[in-house]
Amino acid sequence: MTGMKLDDRIGAVASAAVDYPWLGDLRAENILRWVALELGELLREAEPAEYGRQHCFAQPLTPILHVVGGNTPHAALQSLIRGIIVGARNRMKLPQGGLPEVDEFSLRLPSALRPELAVQLDPGWAQDAEAVVVYGSDETVREFSQRLLPAQRLLAHGHKISFGLIWGSLEQGLVDGAARDVFVFDQLGCLSPQFYYVAGDSEGFASLLARRLEELCLATPVTRRGQEIAAALRGCREEWKFRAATEPGVVVWESAGTLDWVVIHDPAAVPAANPLHRTIFVKPMPSELGSALAPIRHQISTVGLHPVSLESVRQAIRLGAQRVCRIGQMQNPPLTWHHDGWPTLASLVRYVDIEGLG
Amino acid sequence: MASLETEILRFLNEPSEDKFEPLALAVFEYQRRQNPVYASYCEFLGTPQQVGSWKSIPSVPQQAFKRSELRSFAIEQTRAEFRTSGTTGEGYGKHFFQSLRLYEAAVQRSWDFFRLPRHNFVALMQHPDDAPFSSLCRMGGFLADFKRECFFITRNGCLELDRLKDRLTDRGKPLTLFGTALAFLNLMEQAPNLRVELRPGSIAMETGGFKGSGRDIGKRELYDRLFGQFGITTDSVWNEYGMTELSSQFYSYGLNRPHRSPPWMKFLIIDPNTNEEAPPGEVGLLRIFDLANLWSVLAIQTRDLAIAQPEGGFLLLGRDPGALPRGCSRAVDQLLQLIRD
Repeated sequence: MTGMKLDDRIGAVASAAVDYPWLGDLRAENILRWVALELGELLREAEPAEYGRQHCFAQPLTPILHVVGGNTPHAALQSLIRGIIVGARNRMKLPQGGLPEVDEFSLRLPSALRPELAVQLDPGWAQDAEAVVVYGSDETVREFSQRLLPAQRLLAHGHKISFGLIWGSLEQGLVDGAARDVFVFDQLGCLSPQFYYVAGDSEGFASLLARRLEELCLATPVTRRGQEIAAALRGCREEWKFRAATEPGVVVWESAGTLDWVVIHDPAAVPAANPLHRTIFVKPMPSELGSALAPIRHQISTVGLHPVSLESVRQAIRLGAQRVCRIGQMQNPPLTWHHDGWPTLASLVRYVDIEGLG
Repeated sequence: MASLETEILRFLNEPSEDKFEPLALAVFEYQRRQNPVYASYCEFLGTPQQVGSWKSIPSVPQQAFKRSELRSFAIEQTRAEFRTSGTTGEGYGKHFFQSLRLYEAAVQRSWDFFRLPRHNFVALMQHPDDAPFSSLCRMGGFLADFKRECFFITRNGCLELDRLKDRLTDRGKPLTLFGTALAFLNLMEQAPNLRVELRPGSIAMETGGFKGSGRDIGKRELYDRLFGQFGITTDSVWNEYGMTELSSQFYSYGLNRPHRSPPWMKFLIIDPNTNEEAPPGEVGLLRIFDLANLWSVLAIQTRDLAIAQPEGGFLLLGRDPGALPRGCSRAVDQLLQLIRD
């Protein structure tokens, strides 16, 4: 436990997050609404809240061990903020290269709320933790799940795939949003789309998307990529350029002389291998969406839609979506979203039921 | 196009540096005329009809062999077909030949060039009759004169351990062991207590790779174990770096030494960021030019990372960096592979 009251913790988070707009709207009143939505008054320290025929307190699982990957600082800070809000002590295993954003954010917090950070995992951290939040590959998740006792709560955010479904007119706003969703975080987040299915002129959409990505990357060019990543991206491009030369319907648009972005129009329905880093596939909408996506059904995270309608939402849910949103908003989930399908604060507490109290 | 084949065969027998480029350009022009898939690719790339240097000859990505039939001759003239292992889940690549004369000559002359012994050949692989689509087994066949007694893996993939032990413990002459790294590992695991001091002059030629086996050991460990069990010193262990899509191979020996090519092969290190030749000493993707690949495509772009060495050859850093950490975004290829498995 941190020794700080809920309102103080919320105030501290809101204050620290002022310069991090990409974390979402973390003003104190918004955080309060989020807490109320998930936990009602149960997190208040003053007295137990009524809960059905009993009373109840929500106690943080503490300490929490956060194991985060190097793909984006976004997930790491979100996880940390959730732990702080519920009142846990937080320890974070950082990726080998560290995450400077986490270091900087931590320094903005009062010392009582600062997490312990380490690149090398102290084995004691996993033993002590009442909850372990893991972001990373399925292998990383599996490794941690084997280390933990049944009483320790594991919240595993394994690999996910996000994509978009587009029906209707291809207006500029849609193209801008689709490009932005690919562009943000270099497409490395679990909410980053890997492909768009387009009903109608899919090749035309791909061409517009390429133009918009080029504009975005001209404004914010990528510096040279590391050789291994560059090799994977180059290998992918050259393979698809060969296919564009020899297979009908395959078209490639790419950044000239750089590895900033590539758009690949692929007529095949099944998702293709994607090295990410702004590699986006555009495919014609298949007649049997469910069959095309069946292989990835259990890994689907966000499905971006255009338009968002009851019909398209139902379609996305049937496919296995855990989050559905408008294209252009794929990287901007609200504070209150259920990350990977569960409540983000309520998963980090234990409920203490009290019977016979007044 | 018998005359071009003959010219290349002559080059393989009597290499001459100044003849490489004109031959390479002749092969390029021939392949562009005869190979419609390659011609389409060259047109797509905007390659002029004539290029000025072997370095400018367009390379096809290695994966192209999985997508298309890259054949520089009429289909009915096909005499041989080699296939990749297909362990990556994308199906297998196919390499077609109108004739295996160049392939055989490339194997034999390479072993001559590197002064590799062929005496008492022990091939840890199937006989080529039992694996007709394996380029490695065919290579072993050429080197062992197709003698069945030299092959120690059965048609259904089992190691003939007793017969092999007899051969290894017959200490009369030096041996030449030849197989995949996985085959050597299997041998050492199936006969962990076998200790043989092979005669001086014995060598092991391993081809690297544990593809599809789910197992891997480091090169140093493999070489240490070869010494421990068979007395073959590290510098007598050779590595052959090749691929089904090529007709010739690169060779190195010992640890941390560069791979070198016979004179009819050249390579470039390509900076993946720019797709141009990398500055000397920089890591990049290996692009290979093989004159003996007359019947498909001369130039192949691999996904393997390497560094050119000042004294010649290249240091191979890793094969296919496609499997990279990708953050929390699930790699579709890995996922599909899991599902296939």
